[in-house]
Amino acid sequence: MNDVTVAEARMPNPLAQALWRLGIERDDFAKLTGELGATPKETIYAHGTLKLHHYRPQSDELYRVPVLIVTSLVNQPYILDLSPGQSMVEHLVRQGFDVYLIEWGRPRAEHQHLTLDDYVLDRIPACVARVHDDCGEPDVSIIGYCIGGLLSVMYAALHTDGPLRNLVCMAAPVNSDGLESLKTWMGGHFDEELLLELYGNVPADLVQNALRMLRPFGKLAGAMNLLNNLDKPEFVQSNLRLGKWEADNIPFAAGAFRQMVNDFLRGNKLVQRTWALGGKRVDPSRIRVPFVHLLAEDDHITPYASSRDLVKLVGSKDKQEIIIKGGHVGLVASRGAEKRMWPALSAWLAARST
Amino acid sequence: MKANRPNTAKPAQPVQALSEPDFKFPSFFAMWRDWIVKSEQQWSENVSKLLKDERAASLIGKQVDEARMMHKMYAEMMQSYLAAANLPSRLDLEWLDERMGRVEDGLAAVQAELVQLRSAVVKAGAASATDAGIVRLPRTRRPSAAKPS
Repeated sequence: MNDVTVAEARMPNPLAQALWRLGIERDDFAKLTGELGATPKETIYAHGTLKLHHYRPQSDELYRVPVLIVTSLVNQPYILDLSPGQSMVEHLVRQGFDVYLIEWGRPRAEHQHLTLDDYVLDRIPACVARVHDDCGEPDVSIIGYCIGGLLSVMYAALHTDGPLRNLVCMAAPVNSDGLESLKTWMGGHFDEELLLELYGNVPADLVQNALRMLRPFGKLAGAMNLLNNLDKPEFVQSNLRLGKWEADNIPFAAGAFRQMVNDFLRGNKLVQRTWALGGKRVDPSRIRVPFVHLLAEDDHITPYASSRDLVKLVGSKDKQEIIIKGGHVGLVASRGAEKRMWPALSAWLAARST
Repeated sequence: MKANRPNTAKPAQPVQALSEPDFKFPSFFAMWRDWIVKSEQQWSENVSKLLKDERAASLIGKQVDEARMMHKMYAEMMQSYLAAANLPSRLDLEWLDERMGRVEDGLAAVQAELVQLRSAVVKAGAASATDAGIVRLPRTRRPSAAKPS
């Protein structure tokens, strides 16, 4: 039985035929996207749902300083390693960086108590220490994406005598006044305790719907764009990969969600420098390491108004903001990212990683 | 015997997945979809403005809360009917998801232990890094001559 016949046998006939006409011959839906997060790696540390991955080097020599990627709490980390050729991680590995990545995992009922204090004061330092044990280098560069960027800033501000060498943030929200929609929806009338009482953690579908509501017609426009580009197999596959990722959110641990609503969205405590974790005040002006903030021009999830203050807040002398065309996801996983963001990121890091 | 003649036949054209003409007459539906894509940002901005209104947000919030409560009650009510029909409920699937999550986390912990054990074996001198499959690359890479950003 040849491939086409297999495809026709296992899939609804019109779809199989349409895909075959596009030159996409696959025998099931899962294979259409290809393997996601495929850059070779091994898990070197695990604690509860947390996993610390180390990507296998793909160059002859490495930059001295390893890179630790801190991902978002509510999105799957494979957006940074979507597929071969569409992967920021793969780009960094091929450029000669020793790359580690924190995957927070999916919190379950028993993880309701997890707070930002646990992530920033316990888990990130544990991963930094494990990176040091693994590669033997005394310092590390941290790249934080989205909420991962916020966590990285908090870590850097609270560990000024730590091993941090460089700090990179990508679309990190710091000023909740710029998150107008979320701030209104989760204002005084929003009863987060009722939600948490009902579900324990914040369900992944609720996180997903809230993000979709930030751009109500985005999904419809995406579908229309896909239909208009059905004759481009690479576009179709890339779109399916992103679609799969967008539908694969992570529940928000109750304790951390409570802090994000009260301290961040309502209190805007980071900008006011009144946020405290573990009894210590988080003051970004204490960050002195080289810092760069990579932002997307049309980011509807972390709008510029919510992220532009970070570069001003950070106390480093060597600091920079780079704005790139595109949206929140496109910043890290689009063709534009491949041409603009990844080279900018690796060039900035390379100069500071010897 | 046939004379040797140069082969004047045209080479075979490569087979295309889509045998379509070079010029495509613009389809009405494609134009309509293009219009939606181009208008989407404006529509989304307008609806977002509406949703940012405190009263609208409060009203929607109440509706969502009520819908969530209804959903929860309905799910609990349906559970007994589904059990009677020998079908899994949403709660059963969530339980399965949690159980699989625990298995996945357990496997990751085992893998991490093995990696640490391997490092310990090399550190103790019981095996070479190469034998243990550990690649130690020189950390001497320097940025190319290109001016850093």
